[in-house]
Amino acid sequence: MSLLTASKPSSSLTVDASLPVIQVNRVSVRYRVPQERIPSFKEYAIRFVKGQIRYHEFWALRHVNLEVHPGEVFGIIGPNGAGKSTLLKVVARVLRPSEGSIRVRGRVAPLLELGAGFDSELTGRENIYLNSAILGYSHRETERRVDRIIDFAGLHEFIDAPLRTYSTGMVARLGFAVATDERPEILIVDEVLSVGDAEFQTKSFERIQSFQGAGTTILLVSHSLERVEEMCARALWLDHGKVVALGLTKAVVDQYVGRVVEAEAERLTQEAERLAQENTAPEAITRWGNRKVEIVHVRMTDETGTEQTIFRTGLRLHLHMDYVTQGPVASPIFGIAIYRQDGLHITGPNTAFSDMRLPTLEGQGTVVYTIPCLPLLEGLYYFSVAVVNQDDTEIYDYQDRVVPFRVVNLGEGVKERYGLLTLQGEWRHQTPNLT
Amino acid sequence: MVMGVPPKGLCRHFSQQGIDLNTVYDSTTVRSPVIAELVDLWRYRDLLRLLVTNSIKTRYKRSALGVVWTLLNPLLNTLVLTIAFSQLLRFNLKNYSIYLLTGLLFWNFFAQTTVQAMNTLIWGSSLLRRIYVPRTIFAVSVVGNGLVNYLLALIPLGVIMLVMRHPFRLSLLLLPVALLLMAMFTLGIALFVSTLAVFFVDVVDVYGILLSAWFYLTPIIYPLSIVPEKFAAFIRFNPMNILLEIFRSLIYYGEVPSLLKFGGAALMSVVSLLVGWWVFTRKVDEFAYRI
Repeated sequence: MSLLTASKPSSSLTVDASLPVIQVNRVSVRYRVPQERIPSFKEYAIRFVKGQIRYHEFWALRHVNLEVHPGEVFGIIGPNGAGKSTLLKVVARVLRPSEGSIRVRGRVAPLLELGAGFDSELTGRENIYLNSAILGYSHRETERRVDRIIDFAGLHEFIDAPLRTYSTGMVARLGFAVATDERPEILIVDEVLSVGDAEFQTKSFERIQSFQGAGTTILLVSHSLERVEEMCARALWLDHGKVVALGLTKAVVDQYVGRVVEAEAERLTQEAERLAQENTAPEAITRWGNRKVEIVHVRMTDETGTEQTIFRTGLRLHLHMDYVTQGPVASPIFGIAIYRQDGLHITGPNTAFSDMRLPTLEGQGTVVYTIPCLPLLEGLYYFSVAVVNQDDTEIYDYQDRVVPFRVVNLGEGVKERYGLLTLQGEWRHQTPNLT
Repeated sequence: MVMGVPPKGLCRHFSQQGIDLNTVYDSTTVRSPVIAELVDLWRYRDLLRLLVTNSIKTRYKRSALGVVWTLLNPLLNTLVLTIAFSQLLRFNLKNYSIYLLTGLLFWNFFAQTTVQAMNTLIWGSSLLRRIYVPRTIFAVSVVGNGLVNYLLALIPLGVIMLVMRHPFRLSLLLLPVALLLMAMFTLGIALFVSTLAVFFVDVVDVYGILLSAWFYLTPIIYPLSIVPEKFAAFIRFNPMNILLEIFRSLIYYGEVPSLLKFGGAALMSVVSLLVGWWVFTRKVDEFAYRI
């Protein structure tokens, strides 16, 4: 993977490395959405005459400037709906800019739509010809390529069977093989490329690497900042169709993460305030107990001791519970619970389970619970905090889901992408011993 | 603002060795979209050929009777209509079946092609939103497909002519010219209605109604001579009749139509194609936003 880090100019003599391969000049793309859907021609005619057709305009891209040079691996990041796909479509010639201009030098292979136009009634071989023609290759060229394509896709036995008999993985392999048989000048990759089984993934990844080595420019859109940081030398951050930042990937990604964290922190502060307000309401059911021991303040800190509401998977989290007692209280039990946003109870450790016997408490103090290596994946979670008597028969203070916190996954060795937990597991491969 | 076509000399998309690095897409290149589309269609001619052959292949692949049906269908249709009209209405036309079939084949080509072009564009839209191909390619391939079907249907027509001992005249040699005009006229209309269909869902239905009215306003099942005097001019100058008369002359009457008739039909077909092509290519950039 590290092969893809540097952006080196192409070794190919035919490319004039001084000229950008993609030149985007103040490109804007405007969608005109009729305010109401006018489905019929009759309606349209009536309203047209009355002058009642109103459009809601929105700019999917606004004044985007960008130059990408030969051999560069360029990343595009941004939240959903930022205009990333629209930009790719403009480069792939599917959408024409409403304003501004675009110049693209060289063949563009969009890996967005593998197997565009595949026909399930036709055989694999016939589909190679069809898909290849859609990508702009002539019949003669495809004849030359077809055996290589079948080879790469590993579909020898099935190539003359109709496509409808193929598995999804086989179709994807065929699509990838056709799209990448010849090295394009520009490769557009949307999201993580995961085609077929592990073996084929390695093969396809190697192929992309070899393209890059040979001077192909790669345009990568990904939600995985880790992947972008790993592959791209430069990156563009789009938001609401506008360029927020453009430059070296590290700087752009840092800025982006900063903004995301900032926005999230603000939201969580509001959320906490809202919860606090609800708690003070007389009918609050998120807090109960006789308050012989009262948890007066809860805060979270990260590995550096800084107070935080956002944590990274795999890093340290400390939960501090400041308490005040009414007179001496013998060995109370402190406990917490973690809930996911949707109410899933994840776990609930307490001091008694951990065989920790607190002394008799009087006055103020703090109990800290430390998670050395936060296993939660991306999402919004809540802490509940509680303190009960030593036999767990009397509740002093129970605060249900009062402390929201957000977990973000920014890589750092976390392998899981979906779900709840990271297991820090390891993979191994064995072959049966035949001797 | 024109769909980019590289300036001359740079526009060879693919060189013999594989990729021509000078392939340039520049959205600002000033060139009429009408011509740009034509150039691109030529570039993607292999795709065009595949679309035509594939749709024929898939049509006939699944049923063993596929081809037979195409041949049998007009025969049976003609049989029914011949019985119905020659017995009930008594048009007093010699070899009415041939008169009728000439009209039906022509009409079927036109009606099926225009309707299918709309549907294919709506189908092809998923492709158009994802990847660049010349947008007229779907309509053109449907016309090509229609032509193949038309040529196949000439076989049963020939059989009927043989059976009825209808003379085969040299005028038949001009049939390719008539087919060309028919294809041009139809493509123009197909592009025009497809453009409308992208923007309005009900165009498909409205067009269906229009077609059935148009069918009866064209002398397909009846001779022009039975039309009352005051409507005759209206029916005679119906564009479909102008084209149909060419076919009737060549196949049924065995005469070469007058230069005026040929010229009129040619002019009309060219105008239809130019208008359709112009409207389509002008609006085509909005398709990706719409469909």
